[in-house]
Amino acid sequence: MARFLSGVRFQVFYFGVKTLNEFGHEHVYDAVEKPLLFAQTAAFLEVLHSLVGLVRSPVSATLPQITSRLYVTWGILWSFPEVRSHILVSSLVISWSITEIIRYSFFGTREAFGSAPSWLLWLRYSTFLLMYPAGIISEVVLIYNALSYMKESGKYAVRMPNKWNFSFDYYYASLVGLAIYVPGCPYLYSYMLGQRKKAVSKTKAA
Amino acid sequence: MKVLVVTRSGKELIKGGLQLNDSATVADLQEAIHKRTRKYYPSRQRLTLPVQPGSKERPTVLHYQKSLSEYTKGSTSELTVVFKDLGPQVKYSTLFFFEYLGPLLLYPIFYYFPVYKYFGYKEERVIHPVQTYALYYWCFHYFKRIMETFFVHRFSHATSPISNVFRNCAYYWSFGAFIAYFVNHPLYTPVSDLQMKIGFGFGIVCQVANFYCHLLLRNLRSPSGNGGYQIPRGFLFNIVTCANYTTEIYQWLGFNIATQTVAGYVFMVVAAGIMTNWALGKHRRLKKLFDGKEGRPKYPRRWVILPPFL
Repeated sequence: MARFLSGVRFQVFYFGVKTLNEFGHEHVYDAVEKPLLFAQTAAFLEVLHSLVGLVRSPVSATLPQITSRLYVTWGILWSFPEVRSHILVSSLVISWSITEIIRYSFFGTREAFGSAPSWLLWLRYSTFLLMYPAGIISEVVLIYNALSYMKESGKYAVRMPNKWNFSFDYYYASLVGLAIYVPGCPYLYSYMLGQRKKAVSKTKAA
Repeated sequence: MKVLVVTRSGKELIKGGLQLNDSATVADLQEAIHKRTRKYYPSRQRLTLPVQPGSKERPTVLHYQKSLSEYTKGSTSELTVVFKDLGPQVKYSTLFFFEYLGPLLLYPIFYYFPVYKYFGYKEERVIHPVQTYALYYWCFHYFKRIMETFFVHRFSHATSPISNVFRNCAYYWSFGAFIAYFVNHPLYTPVSDLQMKIGFGFGIVCQVANFYCHLLLRNLRSPSGNGGYQIPRGFLFNIVTCANYTTEIYQWLGFNIATQTVAGYVFMVVAAGIMTNWALGKHRRLKKLFDGKEGRPKYPRRWVILPPFL
């Protein structure tokens, strides 16, 4: 399954870069929409795997990642077409796909052959240094840009009075979401740095 | 007897070790360590017997009331203990007091003060009877919890790491404000009078039952704070291990039936999840301890926390 998913992501990457070159950043989203929606949604299985113990990553590292991916894919890009033409959609798609292709190839080869080639290991634990900030900045800016459209349209809002005495405001929830990036990013980045240290020292010892 | 105190990385915490009486207890050892290290008061110390490297067994934790000779296996007059710093500690009663104080004080703020003005609503609002009763119910509940903390509960561990204060207060205070916001909202829609009465009535019955459960649990432990485990008996404990959690969850159900908010139900589900986690651990521990062998009683077949589901 890992190999299948990396194949889909490669498709995302390929179409993304192709469209970027040929037509410019405004059209990237339309070109990658279907495989992107599919791949990101399927990724929620990762959290399941983590919970069940199939992969070694802790839930605390996979859950924020998957949540932010699903939120940006469905909650921002799919829900608010106005932000699709932003140039950072390109950087988002590219950084996500590169990271994911490497990650799934890494897991895939480990499953199939018992271990991954050292260059793949190096890629997995080095590309994040650039990809994480690129992806995070893209996500944050896209969410921020969608904010005014959220307020205007009142999409996904639940208003009172109602039988269940509940209200929900997508705009404020997104602000909270943005706020979570503040502690979340250093946590995830330092987690990966720690993983990198462990992986590099393991190969040195081997 | 000589006691060597090492950290988990193998370094000696106290150079040259400590000299103690052969009849000394673990508590005496903890005092001695505290005297030499100043920073590490006894409740911060976690002392274990060393395990073989690579062994998967869980290390034996030294119990403060036991005598040191119980851990030397009688053979040598030298004992090595492994030290772990548990970090700054607070008493459980302190932790509980602050967790419960938040909901007790925050909820009335939403009832009495024009808070909703700042959310963009007009100041005038009609207060339904159910909202007033909910206020009394809620505040009584947390007042009861605080009283139980100081006068009823006997804790197995005296202290808890200080980080739990922030974590637990965040949980209780956030949910308290979350629920208070919706129940006291100017656009709140009350349920029928009958439903309200059923909800609060049921809730009160469960709170009384919960209090009785706490009394029964208290009497299982002696005042000297042995902290050991006993098979709970009597009242609902005869059919469910963690009857105290059961009554607590049902008590919130009563509150929610009467007030009907998504926020209240979410809180109940999360709380039930947390308590179920604890209950499973306790049930497992009791079954392991009371296995029916060597003259120990066998733990009877019981529901864990929520009959008829678990």
